[in-house]
Amino acid sequence: MAWHELAETLLELVESVAPQGEPGLVVTEAELEIPLEVGGAVDRGRLVFYAGAPHSRWRTGFLPPVHRSRIRVELVELLEEDAGGR
Amino acid sequence: MVGDGSFLVEEFIDSITSQLDRVQDSLRIKAVNRPLTYALKDMSLELKVFVELDAQGKVRFRTGGPNEAGASVVHLGFTTITKPMIEENTVSLAASRSPTLEEAGLAPEEQLRLERVGVRNMAQLERLQSSTGVQTVARYADMPVDRLKRALVLNRPKVTAVHPTPPRPAPVPAPAPRPPQSVAGKPRMPQPQPPASQPPVLKLKPGTRRLQLSGHRLIGEAGPPKVHLNNQPLGIAEADDDRLVVEIPEDHLGGTLEVRLHDGSVAAYELSVDDGESWGPSAGTAGTAGADGHGDAWSDGWAPDEEEMS
Repeated sequence: MAWHELAETLLELVESVAPQGEPGLVVTEAELEIPLEVGGAVDRGRLVFYAGAPHSRWRTGFLPPVHRSRIRVELVELLEEDAGGR
Repeated sequence: MVGDGSFLVEEFIDSITSQLDRVQDSLRIKAVNRPLTYALKDMSLELKVFVELDAQGKVRFRTGGPNEAGASVVHLGFTTITKPMIEENTVSLAASRSPTLEEAGLAPEEQLRLERVGVRNMAQLERLQSSTGVQTVARYADMPVDRLKRALVLNRPKVTAVHPTPPRPAPVPAPAPRPPQSVAGKPRMPQPQPPASQPPVLKLKPGTRRLQLSGHRLIGEAGPPKVHLNNQPLGIAEADDDRLVVEIPEDHLGGTLEVRLHDGSVAAYELSVDDGESWGPSAGTAGTAGADGHGDAWSDGWAPDEEEMS
């Protein structure tokens, strides 16, 4: 399994909430509870965390530990005044 | 991160925060072409780690390896906060410009002891000392009182030198040639120190519009120090921790220059306007005056061939 940076994995998870195409359906809020395999490594002098879906849903073999995580995403309208900061 | 794969808790928090910021930034960029976008509101992570204590007494995390049993579970929650919340809950940038404990010359063990009482830089140490007293700080940090006092004194804000910045070139050409001995930047030996009650005298050439003050920790949490000439506030053209440039009125006749530092001390100089005969870069180099008034104060009157100390 390829390791992705935590940010990339989280972006993919957020994007998965948005329906593809134009179905006339909008998800306004979503809460995801997902297991993640998380690992840290030093990349160019800084600590970077990588995260991905578990190798297997089965408890078998020689696998890295799975860390349960929960993320909550909301649909927002980006206002001009928000553009400067969170 | 060290060789065994463990990392400090703050490194971990910084790394995750950086990743979450990247997520938010990416989502915001996507919103340029979309009327609506998703925002990551919060995230929690049950991290399975082995908690270790290193030789310096700092807590380190090591993520569990494959089939490694017995890991602790650390529940971490991250949420979005607004700018006012950040400002309320974090140290101001002005406070963080203060020298760190390491820069203040404290040993690693001493730094660790002070960090345990919430002190990470000299400004925080000064604030704690002013509210609770140095004895209390020393007792809680388990450090000798003298050691703390010495660190506080050595790192006090102070003005070490005042120089007139060169006046604008006059329309008449050919300034008088400088004596060969008067080399700017050449170290000068100070004159014998005058009594502490007498501020150093600085001779200025007529038309001098700016003075450069050199020193240490010139900017406090409230900003640069207040500089007055004969009790009239002067404008500050440039300000940095070790350098301040103040503007003086073109038609001033000299007087008392006072620099009110953020620790409450005042560095004073006596300005006098010379007609230019005896003025020179060497004579314009003001002596240092400790903020407490009894520092390395020396005065004007250096002969051009004397060595300058900056």
